[in-house]
Amino acid sequence: MAYAYLFKYIIIGDTGVGKSCLLLQFTDKRFQPVHDLTIGVEFGARMITIDGKQIKLQIWDTAGQESFRSITRSYYRGAAGALLVYDITRRDTFNHLTTWLEDARQHSNSNMVIMLIGNKSDLESRREVKKEEGEAFAREHGLIFMETSAKTASNVEEAFINTAKEIYEKIQEGVFDINNETEEKISDQLELNRQANGIKIGPQHPTTNSTLSSNQGGHQAGGGCC
Amino acid sequence: MSEWAWFAVNSSMQVCTETFDNMSDSEASCAAAEGSEAALGKQNPSPAGTPDSSSPSTPDFSIDVALTRKARRRPETQPAAKVQDTPKEDEQPAKTSNQSTVSQGGWGYWGSWGKSILSTATATVATVGQGLTQVIEKAETSLGIPSPTELSAQVEEEEKQKVSSPVDGASTEPDKAVDESSAVGSAMGMLSSLSSVVQNTGKTVITGGLDALEFIGKKTMDVIAEGDPGFKKTKGLMRRNATLSQVLREAKEREELQSADKDSANSDKKVVAHYGMLFDEFQGLSHLEALEILSRESESKVKSVLLTLSGDELVQLRDELDQIKGSFSLVEFDDEEVDENKDEDGSEFERELKEAMEGLSVSATADKLSKACKSSSSLINELTKQHVETDVNEEDVKKHSVEEVHAAAIRSLAELTARSIELFHKLAEMILFSNGSTEASVLSQLTVVLCKEISLLSKKFTSCLTAAGSNEKGEVLNPLITGVFLEASNSASYIQDAFQLLMPILEISHIERRVQLTEQ
Repeated sequence: MAYAYLFKYIIIGDTGVGKSCLLLQFTDKRFQPVHDLTIGVEFGARMITIDGKQIKLQIWDTAGQESFRSITRSYYRGAAGALLVYDITRRDTFNHLTTWLEDARQHSNSNMVIMLIGNKSDLESRREVKKEEGEAFAREHGLIFMETSAKTASNVEEAFINTAKEIYEKIQEGVFDINNETEEKISDQLELNRQANGIKIGPQHPTTNSTLSSNQGGHQAGGGCC
Repeated sequence: MSEWAWFAVNSSMQVCTETFDNMSDSEASCAAAEGSEAALGKQNPSPAGTPDSSSPSTPDFSIDVALTRKARRRPETQPAAKVQDTPKEDEQPAKTSNQSTVSQGGWGYWGSWGKSILSTATATVATVGQGLTQVIEKAETSLGIPSPTELSAQVEEEEKQKVSSPVDGASTEPDKAVDESSAVGSAMGMLSSLSSVVQNTGKTVITGGLDALEFIGKKTMDVIAEGDPGFKKTKGLMRRNATLSQVLREAKEREELQSADKDSANSDKKVVAHYGMLFDEFQGLSHLEALEILSRESESKVKSVLLTLSGDELVQLRDELDQIKGSFSLVEFDDEEVDENKDEDGSEFERELKEAMEGLSVSATADKLSKACKSSSSLINELTKQHVETDVNEEDVKKHSVEEVHAAAIRSLAELTARSIELFHKLAEMILFSNGSTEASVLSQLTVVLCKEISLLSKKFTSCLTAAGSNEKGEVLNPLITGVFLEASNSASYIQDAFQLLMPILEISHIERRVQLTEQ
């Protein structure tokens, strides 16, 4: 099935906070307690529906390890949304949020929607960071906030979908000037993703030019791959 | 039979010139490819009917083709000076057609080469034609594709025109322009005529594999799409970032349109496999994009480092970087070695992959790739087995439809390619991360292994298709076989592109290692 928009997401945050698990839960609806360390970046994709429109989320799940930071930063560009994840059972992962946020803001589009996520909400007994603290941080920095559990799947859908809703609203408000960018830059699939705001219009969109539809026809028209 | 020679791109044209006299199959296909290039060189990439404006740009084109043939696969980095020289030399014959420029100008060996190659191409087409099976004959009659003899006649015709026009010289200029406009029209025209060559020839070479055809398409597009700085104009006209895969995709889409027309007539619901969609589903595009990001960033870092250096330091680093670049152009791949019957379960590939990957710490990704390959192999074995059984017991066992086999083939190719791209992407990350020294030769060996595997897979799948479609009409079977070959070519070109993207990454890694050494 074809999509109306494609949003690029990045997932960032300290190592071991559950970024890859969140992605796996969202795309595959399963939980894997033991996960290989992510090298550089891994990918996931899923189709969602907002306001009756099909939206494809292309998710870039980055490595949390400090040593990979210089590589993963390269991937921030062109993201429409970011999930900034910390672990509610590890205070240090919360303390590092400021650095992550600065990094993200510096290397990506200023309109990027950022969702702050306190993960592992199922481990209430080991909680080190209060929900209120997360909320306060989000308020202070203009982020959306949610506590999730990749293990129980609690709030996982919502986290991804609410971010998309926010992006979608920004599009409706005209904050993201998509048409301008697509007309000029679309020449192939890669070029599309390189757009500064991380939003692509789907192949069947009325404003798309012929180049777009033919290119995407090859790649993704017919969609439904996720 | 002969080679697709994905990698023979850098083989110098002399190789071909020297060998086409005692023509073996492989050389013939090589020559055929050159022929098509020569033909392309002839075609006028500028808008029709303006001989004056066309002349300055076209000599550029043919000469760049010549340069490219001797150069690396991505010679954009070639000094622009060479290119700028050429228009001057060509000013004299500028009024004549570009073909005559080619033949008469100071490019003796290129000119004669061009001609001889054309005749060789003709011969090749005829040779291939003679070896055709009845499958193809069926296909041709039903699809209205020119028969091999017609094709070769056409080539001869064209050749005559080409050869005769230089003799006529400037006086026939207006006719020539009309000629070219009808033949080419515009850059777009050139593109589509190229793809129709690819398409048509594809149907004609069924038994032998893509071979000659693949070679033609690949080489031509290398030369056109990447080699030619003067091509920038054409590229702009044609469509930005036109690549071989795009051209092939066009060909395929046209084919799909054709078959869709027919389908709607008998309203058969078919299993349709979209390579691009599947490739994306296996995250091939994402990995390719990420790899591109890293490659671009590394490239600009290398450039900025070079800007800060001067004198001996600069010369030395340039030399070192040139060595790295050199390893990226030395890749050759001989398809003759690809034996359809070998590697039944994919273990051979696994071993080769392991060998090539020695010292590269991305085992998890390599495992995924091996797994993908093994499952393709077992799929093929299953498909083949089914057919053997059906021969014996036709009523009982349900035969796999050709559409099913085709879908499986496309899916396997897409997966294997996506996993290969993923592997290259992970390698890039590891090289940047660990900053250990990775030899370019290891990576090129890996590329060869991967492309061989693609070649092998496509051959196996097409024999499956031929077996499954023994009772099918050519019009059903042929587009499917062509489709598999086209996507195999697509795959190999994605893999090679990914390999080339690693070059700036090795360069910056080398520079950083150097810095570390001097700091110590």
